Amino acid sequence: MATVTKVGTKVRVSEEERFRAQFYLLLSRLLGAAADHDLLNVIKGLEVDDTSIGQELTRLKTLAENTSVEVVSEEYNKLFIGVTQGELIPFKSYYLTGFLNEKPLAELRDDMQKLGIAKSDQVAEPEDHIAFLFEMMHGLIVGSFGRPSTIPEQNRFFENHIACWAPKFFENLEMAEAARFFVPVGRIGKLFMEVESEAFLIAA
Amino acid sequence: MSTKKSGSPSRRDFIKTAGIGVGVAAVTSGVLSASEATATPSLKNGETTGYQETEHVRKYYESAQF
Repeated sequence: MATVTKVGTKVRVSEEERFRAQFYLLLSRLLGAAADHDLLNVIKGLEVDDTSIGQELTRLKTLAENTSVEVVSEEYNKLFIGVTQGELIPFKSYYLTGFLNEKPLAELRDDMQKLGIAKSDQVAEPEDHIAFLFEMMHGLIVGSFGRPSTIPEQNRFFENHIACWAPKFFENLEMAEAARFFVPVGRIGKLFMEVESEAFLIAA
Repeated sequence: MSTKKSGSPSRRDFIKTAGIGVGVAAVTSGVLSASEATATPSLKNGETTGYQETEHVRKYYESAQF
């Protein structure tokens, strides 16, 4: 069962599950738009340890301290926007089929409907963008869409929509020609996906 | 007040030692704004901040030949 407990009408999400949720949101912010001053400041203030992820976070912090919003934005554009398109196309459908808006997106939309998740009508982008999927994982964990999802529910969403392509995407991100600031982001993402897979296995 | 710990202890320990507790509670909102739609799935939530149509979007639609 879940990681949450009802306290009155409020649902409490345990500390380690909140760590996961925040980590998803942090990566979502990094991947969904070029970092602004606020985000760079958040990166600089990260609390890190000597785990594999912590070491990559330390690299990211150092890069954040020695760059600017302009430089990071230029890198983001090269990676994800480009003149005609960026170096990477961070969508599930693209990774699984070679095209945008194919069946993997339809499957995601079905699940979103079942889970009561709708995208804002201001969002024109397909829902299977990595940043959007990570934001959804955050929402499932903390209960942004009604109630926090159980671990098995989270696991199903993760397996069906993220684990099948995100590790490959993060590898590509790490190796991307334009990647500087995003090299550790790629490594962090890949390591985090491993942590998530392992944690779901332990829970099963 | 006791918080029931219903996740498995080994899972909790594993996550706690994975290096992801980075103190980023300051990141409060995402960029793409998945909105809650408990009753009507296609309902728009007036409070969502939204992620405007960016260059991003247009490029991807172009590349998808929309």
